[in-house]
Amino acid sequence: MKHQDVGETSPKRSVRQTTSSLLASSIPYVGMVAVLGVLVLIFGLMSRNFLSLTTLASLANQIPDLTVISVGMTLVLIVAGIDLSVGSVLALSSAVVGALMVDGGWPLWAAVPACLLAGAGCGCFNGVVSVYARIPSFIVTLGMLEIARGGAYLITDSRTKYIGSSVEWIGTPMPGLFVSPAFLLAVAIVVCGQLLLTRTVFGRYLVAIGTNAEAVRMAGIRSEPYAISVFAISGLLAGLGGVIQTSRLSSADPNAAVGLELAAIAACVIGGTSLAGGRGSIISTFFGVLMITVLQTGLAQVGASDPTKRIITGSVIVVAVLLDALRRNWGKAHD
Amino acid sequence: MTSIHARSWSSSMLASLAVMASSIAAGCGGPDVDSQPTDGAASDHPRVALIMKSLANEFFSTMADGAQQHQREHAERYELVVNGIKDERDLSRQVALVEEMVAAGVDAIVIAPADSKALVPALRRARDAGIVVVNIDNRLDKEVLEQEGIAIPFVGPDNRNGALAVAKSLEGKLATGDAIAVLEGIRTSFNGTQRRLGFEEAASGAGWEIVDSQSAQWEMSKANTIASSMLREHPEIKAILAANDSMALGAVAAAKATGRGGDLLIVGFDNISAVQDAIKEGRVLATADQHGDQLAVFGIEHALTLLDDPEAKVEDRETPVDVVTAETLR
Repeated sequence: MKHQDVGETSPKRSVRQTTSSLLASSIPYVGMVAVLGVLVLIFGLMSRNFLSLTTLASLANQIPDLTVISVGMTLVLIVAGIDLSVGSVLALSSAVVGALMVDGGWPLWAAVPACLLAGAGCGCFNGVVSVYARIPSFIVTLGMLEIARGGAYLITDSRTKYIGSSVEWIGTPMPGLFVSPAFLLAVAIVVCGQLLLTRTVFGRYLVAIGTNAEAVRMAGIRSEPYAISVFAISGLLAGLGGVIQTSRLSSADPNAAVGLELAAIAACVIGGTSLAGGRGSIISTFFGVLMITVLQTGLAQVGASDPTKRIITGSVIVVAVLLDALRRNWGKAHD
Repeated sequence: MTSIHARSWSSSMLASLAVMASSIAAGCGGPDVDSQPTDGAASDHPRVALIMKSLANEFFSTMADGAQQHQREHAERYELVVNGIKDERDLSRQVALVEEMVAAGVDAIVIAPADSKALVPALRRARDAGIVVVNIDNRLDKEVLEQEGIAIPFVGPDNRNGALAVAKSLEGKLATGDAIAVLEGIRTSFNGTQRRLGFEEAASGAGWEIVDSQSAQWEMSKANTIASSMLREHPEIKAILAANDSMALGAVAAAKATGRGGDLLIVGFDNISAVQDAIKEGRVLATADQHGDQLAVFGIEHALTLLDDPEAKVEDRETPVDVVTAETLR
């Protein structure tokens, strides 16, 4: 049951892999697909137009920013860290795009790299300080949460910047196609992230560091560069999330993404990523993102009241994690 | 708040750092660093404390800027201390600010309360200490004021009439029986409720049907999600009325994403700078300008009047709200 999860590879795997690798690797997703299916079915029954292609298109339009941020978050959680700053870094990056394009008159192609750089810079700072000063990343990124939000207010003078049509194409469905460039990019990042994690030395080291950093050190591997680059990737992806959100809303909002870090962490945990490090899957995180977004959209579509929305969202997160834990224990018992 | 009095750059920098450190240590519940001391501390001038909601919100930062501009022009009349809270829902911090200002011995407090009920007891204590209190922006709850046995004048716009006026800009563009949707603010906010009531009044007057009304918590991204869902569930919606401009911009993006960019009518409230471009482009039809930059000034002037003449009658003062459209922006 647990073959898919990185870091719990069983020696038998290589033998089985050839015969039933596809089947085996899809088993961990069955539970999540089932929960997703139930959610979609319920919303379909409760509303007039939930089961339609436009809903699907709109979901595809809404998920890219949370998706890329959750990919970064998964990597950070795997090395037993946490990045609380992603929401603020997204707002900061978005502010950079807005300020450069509206006040500075920069073209999009020049503003985007600057914005990604800002995101990666924040991430690097998180990584360097927490790794070299041995401060828990919880504290360092909590500091960055404040710093980046302050920076976003400073850059925009606390004003929403309306950019308009020059950024919209990134988040707008392409003609003839169902989805936006942002969606394709997010899917590509999920695939690359999963390959990075499961098929590269880099990925194996991340899992090793998260499982037992001391053992990694004993083995003569310097873990610092790996840990730092994970935070830098998370910052970079938060910057990308900023570009995506700015393009979807045609505006840069310094108040954007407050609390998004919690949605990203929830998506990771729903997907079975361990907060203690060493275990996680990016594909599963993607299912977590889908679940959270389907809930959000579905609850809005049936017109649920605000208290109901919160209670149901919270309950579904707990139930999803509970199911994952049960599945894991059952898997252990039958191995 | 440490930096009430004018001080050198380096020490106020240190103070800000200390404040920031404590705010992080307190799990982001600490004070805001937006305390702005005024220069020239001649002690015979009355000192007015302006206590705002979040200064990170454009509406309130504009208001604070207007007040500081006014103080510079009337430096001989009063001194000004501006304070804000970090998050609009950080009630306990705002209550603490009121207490700190009382302790600092200011002569008047002009406050935009983060909550229309929870702030009343703290303001009563301020009144008991002999401080003039003026309420701006978000009206304090009448019943709680009565229970506490105090009268605090309210200076500000009538949000309900403002919303009614904005909604009326849809008249002639919508027919009787047409479907509309409302994006509400936070339900516990008095202003949010008033604006919703204004929209509803306009709808029932013109015979439009409100098919969906949900709170998007004043936020652009939430409004985007909710408006998208509304438009899918009720494709017959012809107009979306948003209780603030951020949510209106979120609805604009939703209209675009659902292929309704051309025909969906959207109105907002507040007249933030970002929405003006959207109005010029024809993506938003109208918004309401409550002259935010002057709101605090109106409040301060009212407070100064009361300070000059303690016998003056304590009464409310309504400030103007204007509808902004592509026509008026031209």
